[in-house]
Parts: sequence; structure tokens; C-alpha cells
Amino acid sequence: MPEGATSSAFASERLQINQGAEETVRELLRSLLESGKVNAVLALGRTGGPSGGVAYSLFRDPEAFGADGDALPLLPFMPANAGGLLSRLTLEGPVAEPVAAVVKPCELRAFIELVKLSQGNLDNILLISSTCGGVYPLDMGIDGSLEKKLPTYWERMEQGELDDDVRPTCRACESFVPEGADITVALLGEADLDTQCTLHLNTERGAAFAGDMEGTTVSGKRDSEALERSLDERKAFREELFAGVGVGLKDLIHTFGRCIGCHGCKTVCPICYCRLCYFDSQNCERPAGFYEGELARKGGLRVPSDTVYFQLGRMAHMAISCVGCGMCTDVCPADIPVSTMFSKVGAAAQAVFDYQPGRDVTEEIPLRTFEEEEFTEVAT
Amino acid sequence: MEEQAFTPTIVGFLCNWCTYAAADSAGVSRFKMPPSVMVVRVMCSGRVDPLFVLTAFLLGADGVLISGCWPGQCHYQTGNLQARRRTTLLKSIFDTLGLEMGDRFRLSWISSSEAPRFVQVVKEFDKQITDLGPSPIQDELFL
Amino acid sequence: MSDNGIVLAAEDGVEAAFIGWLKETLNKNIFDALLIPVGTPAGDSFAYLLLQEPAILDSASPLPPVMPVQGGKAIGRLTMRENPSKRIAAVVRPCEARAAIELSKLEQAHLDNVCLITLDCPGVLPLADYLVDPVAGAARFKEASAQWDRSPMRPTCQVCDHFSLRQAPGCDLHVGTLGCPDGTAVVVAGSSKGDHVLEQMDMGGQDEDEQADFLNTAVTDWGTQVEQVEEAQTERRRQAQEDLREEIAGAEKLLGVFSSCINCHNCQRVCPVCYCRQCYFESAALKLPAENYLARAERKGALRFSPDTLLFHIGRASHMALSCVSCGACEDACPMDIPVGQVFSLLGDRAQKALGYVAGTSLEDPLPLVSYEMDELHEVEQPYVEVYPNQEVQDA
Repeated sequence: MPEGATSSAFASERLQINQGAEETVRELLRSLLESGKVNAVLALGRTGGPSGGVAYSLFRDPEAFGADGDALPLLPFMPANAGGLLSRLTLEGPVAEPVAAVVKPCELRAFIELVKLSQGNLDNILLISSTCGGVYPLDMGIDGSLEKKLPTYWERMEQGELDDDVRPTCRACESFVPEGADITVALLGEADLDTQCTLHLNTERGAAFAGDMEGTTVSGKRDSEALERSLDERKAFREELFAGVGVGLKDLIHTFGRCIGCHGCKTVCPICYCRLCYFDSQNCERPAGFYEGELARKGGLRVPSDTVYFQLGRMAHMAISCVGCGMCTDVCPADIPVSTMFSKVGAAAQAVFDYQPGRDVTEEIPLRTFEEEEFTEVAT
Repeated sequence: MEEQAFTPTIVGFLCNWCTYAAADSAGVSRFKMPPSVMVVRVMCSGRVDPLFVLTAFLLGADGVLISGCWPGQCHYQTGNLQARRRTTLLKSIFDTLGLEMGDRFRLSWISSSEAPRFVQVVKEFDKQITDLGPSPIQDELFL
Repeated sequence: MSDNGIVLAAEDGVEAAFIGWLKETLNKNIFDALLIPVGTPAGDSFAYLLLQEPAILDSASPLPPVMPVQGGKAIGRLTMRENPSKRIAAVVRPCEARAAIELSKLEQAHLDNVCLITLDCPGVLPLADYLVDPVAGAARFKEASAQWDRSPMRPTCQVCDHFSLRQAPGCDLHVGTLGCPDGTAVVVAGSSKGDHVLEQMDMGGQDEDEQADFLNTAVTDWGTQVEQVEEAQTERRRQAQEDLREEIAGAEKLLGVFSSCINCHNCQRVCPVCYCRQCYFESAALKLPAENYLARAERKGALRFSPDTLLFHIGRASHMALSCVSCGACEDACPMDIPVGQVFSLLGDRAQKALGYVAGTSLEDPLPLVSYEMDELHEVEQPYVEVYPNQEVQDA
């Protein structure tokens, strides 16, 4: 790993603010809404009152970002991949006036990937992201344990470490530094998160929107030792996680054997944008004769079938764009490590094409570009 | 009952403009070749969705052959180049998951004038699959 | 229900005896194939297998501790396009059979060649509980079901009042175990199709009168016990639904219940009677230009995004509550532990009651929304009569 590999995504200028990170972000978003610089903010927030859940919302009222407001922009929780939500927002065309979105790096990558797939529009979307310390599994958002965990989470973030309870997918994530964000909030490995905050203004748009914040502009090389260390730790965890995935047909059947066929992994996947998946389509509704033919051949077969077929097919269709956000594992009612499988397959396929999904909006998706002289060894 | 010699089932997705013509011409010329390839004519090797390959395997194919025009000769300019990328992707997936389908899956360029090459590819691939034996997917009940 | 029946008895328990009996049906060529839950290769779950090899039945489990896939859905997948040419026996739980019957009435399943075989059902464990430790889960289920203790089962199963043939009379054959001495069960026919199977399976040779007496006693004991349990379950269900209604009634409370919904639509995907290939709520109809969402955000101060969560749930209920069989599959599949199965049970029960219908109990009863009379349900009409008595209307 060359030195400073994690810092390539930062611009040289940054804004240091004498205020905690949470307050800074709230203040920034509140002022953006108040001044009318943005029309709305997509961020996490409480729904259904104090006892309710957490969901993404389009906030319009600045008060949501007041000290007691419903918005929870930095909550380490991901009830949906916001990349998919931004795609839904801009599917029919760009937003007329600026909308800010506070997203995790994987959500940012998903949105950029979706834009490349013509499923969204970047115009007028102000992307605010952060150096990510992972999110807690959905389960922990149900029983209130997430809330209790937060002090530990932020304490460990200051030390540049990940809490052991964040999702395995996050602990194995190598892309926790956002690329392509207009504004990056430095969180991981930053001391005194409750009194200090550094905003990286990576683009002109970012500088224009956050320029009014009171703070000191600093330039020059920044210390990224904590990020490098986290990267090494996560790489090691990733290797361990991937090694734990059984390979071969038998293992695959073991892993996906308890699939209940809800296709929730597909529904929550930001990259799976098809309105009607092939595997839910008429093509997979078979006449009784089909099953009888298979029965005659094999003596027995699973009904409904298509568990391994569904997963392999979905991999073939989207693994090249898989951003490793982990929503699929989180949503799986049968606790199948879907995301680990897809990350492993996705990473290998992406390496073959030297491609990183969601890194750069101008980079072509590998299956949409080709050369006459390439991969010649594949054809025999 | 004595066990019969294994005759593989190979699904061949052949491009209408080249390999399909080559196969036709091989037949007309009465070249001898194994009867194991079941031909699915496609308008271009670029028409082959990875799902076609998966479907063939899951429905019991022992091998899958995709064959189209040589690079630079595609009837639709670049369909075969797309096919090559998809094949690369699918092979990578099979490889990562440790599925031997990767060894049972071949992409070959055969132009319409290359009937002898078609025969040679079929012979080679038939032998390769025969050596591998029946696809293990066929006996799995829980797919 | 006919008088036809047999008594199953075996030292190894009812399950082994029943599987032995099923093997006989295959060997005697009464059925060509069986659809039955079988343990998955990893041993951590169960899946419906269509099988014709009697040997596979050794790992089958007629009453598995969980319901990973609703059997009605499995039957639907198998027969949605046409009647199978083979005679297939489907071994399912009563709620799964009811879903299959409902699907058949919705023209999404073809049951002519399918023999629905059900068993007295003790309920199933929540899928998530079971998957934590499948071995312990299986043991917990075995212990609880032996005593008909529903406390570890899913909330919908705890208050199920359709657990036997008496409440799911559309089944062709039923295995009754309630009130039967240990190691015995009665197999009774619920339809002429079931009668026919039992006739074909009749071994003969024994003293028929003695056999008939024995059977009559067993069936009577079983019936009495089923009635008793039904009475208790009906009361539990009434009470639970009353409590639930307290918790969810009113827009605010309802929003609270569904506030943690992540819009994965798993509930709709696993619902056996939600058969639409593409749900309205996933269609283009609800994918709108950004201005629409932003205008709604402006009006309310904030718009939950994805929007329309409650619209989805209430909308889905309005589409399928009349066919809801209270199987609880939706609740099992919910990653956010929303009591969606209980809510839909409540909505389903009340809607079905209002229209005098019980989902999946008869192939003949017409679906309430496709049958109507000129003179009915006047209570839901606009009460003009009360506001403007006839006389006033005439005077005006």
C-alpha cells in the first residue's frame, strides 16, 4: 500500500471548525435550508415519534436540524441504501434546485454507479459524506441497543477504530473514504469529535455551499495515519471473512439452502434497479410439465426452485457494480451472508476489469465498453 | 444394467452469421464429429446473456459453448467483443465460487468459412467434457 | 367429512408411521409424487421438495419446526399454469392448504390432481429464533408441540384457530393427533378425493367390525379434543386481537407500528396470496418526478423517503385481506420485527367477517369481491335515510 493511499480523495484545502462534528453538520444543513441554498436535505431521521423507527427523509424544515430536531444525519445506521433513494428522486430528471444528501461512502458509490447506469442524475445534488466507521446491523435498530452503543461508537471512532458490533461487511470495507463527495466530514480517527470538526471541501460546489461556516481554512498535507491503520485492519478482517466463505457447488447449496425466496436482497440492493427482476418475471413461472420433467430426471426437486440459480444470476447481472454496502445481508430473514458472497465475487470480477464501482462517474462500466485486443486468452 | 458410456450434452449458442453457417457447412460436407452439441441459434454471440449459460447448466447441460465471429468481423460491429467481456465476467464468478462450470464453458471464434475448425472445436470440447464426466449439478435436488 | 378413516399406529411415533404410510402410497402408485418439507443439506432449515423417490422421504419432515416457505406458495408455483399430469400429494399445514385453496379460487393454482394432506398443527417457531441454533430450535419445537404448548411459537400461531380439519375443511386428507393416545393418529378424509385414496389404501384382511369400532372411538376422541382446543384458541385470538387493536388503532399509532419499515417488501413477496407478478407498489405508478416528492416535503416539513410506507401496507391489506389465511409468513420475513402478520390477521379477520367469508376453507364459496347481490350490505351505504328522512326528501 503506497503511503497516503487513503488521502487521494481529499482536496488539499479543509475547514477546521471549533464545534463538535454532529453540531457542525446539523448547523451546516440548517443554515443551507434556512438560507434557501438547498431546497431539501436527504438524511436519516426519526419517524413516527420518539418510540418510532429511523428512516431516510427529505427534510425541508430547518428545525429538523436544530438540537432537538428529528434529523440524525450521522447516525451509524442504514435502513436503506441512500444511493437507491437518490436514484428514485432523480430518475425522471434532475432536481430543479439543489438538494443536499448526507450519505455513507457506499451509498455515494451506489448513487454514482446508478447514474452511470442511467438511473439517476447528479445535477444539483450536493453530496455530503464522511470517513465511515461502519454502521450497526438492522437488528440493533429494533431493540434500542443501537442507541446504547453510540457513546462507545464515537469513542472508538476518535481512536480510529471500529466497534466490534458494526456489521461484518463494514469491518471488511476498504472503501470507507468517500470519493466524489462535495464535502467530506472527517470522523474516523479524529480526536475531540465533540468539540472539533474538519470539513474537507473537495469541490467548488462544496466550497460554495459550506464557505459561510465559521472556521479556519487550512491547506497542506494532512495526517492520514489513522485511516491507513484502519485500512490495514479492515483488509485483514476482509481476508478472514472471505476465507470463511465455502466454495464449490456443495458449499453454495449449503449457504443458500435456507433461502426463503423473498428476494429481499434484490429489493434492497441499490444496484438491482430493474423494476421487474428476471427471476420474478414470467420467465421463471413454469408450467407443471417443467417440474414433472425435472422430477423424472432427478427423482426430486425443490419447489419453488431457483435459489442458487437466482443468486448466481443476480451475481452475473450486478456483481461488477456491487459497492459492498451490505444491505442484502442485513435484510435477509434467513441470515444468509449474501453480502460476503457478493463482495467476494464482485471484488474478484472488478479486479479482472480493473474497475471500482462508484469511484468516478466518467469511468465506463466494464460491460459497456470493450477493445478489440483484450482478454484474448478467454476465447479458445 | 451395465453402465452406458457417457455422452455429454453440450449446449452451443452459435452466431447466425458465422459459426451457425460453419456448422451447417460442416454438416453438408459430411464431416464426422461427435453428436453432443445441441445448437441454439442466436443472432450474435453478444445476444447471449450470462443467464442463458446458467440456465443451460442448471437444466442439466454438461458443457456450454458460445461461438461467434472473430473480433473485427462482427455483423453488428462489436457484439462479439461484448460477449468476450461477459464470458470473462462469468468465468471470474465461477472461479471465485469454485464452481467447475468454468471448465465446462468455452468461447470460440469460428467464421462461416471455417467448417473444419468448427469440427475441431466440437471434438476438443466433447473430449474435454467427456473427461470431466457428467455435470454434478444434475443430481442436486436443492438448487 | 366422511366416515372413512384409518388409525395410524407405530412404536416410533406418528411422524415415522405417517412417512411409512406416504411411502406406501408411492409404492402402491396411488400418488405419482409428493410435495413435502425436507431438511436442507446443511441441516439448518427445510424446503419443499417434489419427489417420487420413496428413499428421499427418510429426511422428510411433515411438520417441520419452521415455515421457511409457505406451502401454499409452493403449490402455487408448481401448478400456477396448469393442472399437473401426475397425481401429487401435498403434505402441508392447515394454513398452507388454505392458501392453496385461496390461490386456486384466484386462478393461481390448479388443484384437480393435487391431494391436500394436512396435519393437526401445533404452530411453528419464529424463523429468526430457530436459525440462531437449529438443533436447539428443533428440540424446543419437539418438546412444546408434544404438549401442544404454543408459547414458543410465532405470535400468529399462538392465537391460531384454524389448526385442524374442522376449521380447514377444504383439505382432502387430514392426520389428526390431538387427543389421540401417544404414538397413534387418525387419518380421515375431508373430500371424496381423500375418500378414494383411503379406499385404495385399505389393506383389508382384518375384522372389519372391530376395526370400525376402534376407528370410531379414536375419531370421536380426536374430534372432541379439537373442539375443546378450538374453543380455547378462539378466545385467545379474540383477546389478542382486541389488545392489538388498542395498540394500533388510529393514524398515529399505526404510523408508529410501521415507522421502522425499511420498504423491502419482503412481507408482500412471501405472502402466499399476494400473487401479482409485479406489485402495484413497485410499479412505475409510484415512481414520480422529483418535484412531486419535494412539494410533499415542503407541505409537511419533511417527507419520509421512500415515501408511501403506510400506503403500501394498507393498500396491500385492501388487496389481499379477504384472502389472508393468517399464516404469519410476512412477519417471519420482516427484518425489522414489525408485527405485520398480527396486524394483517386482525384486518383479515374483520374484513372477512364483514363479508361472511373465511379464506381458504372451501373451494366452492365464491370470493367475496366477485360475488354480489342487489340487496345486501346496506349498512355501508351513505346514511341519507338518517340525515334526510324520506318525508323531508319528498317535501323538498
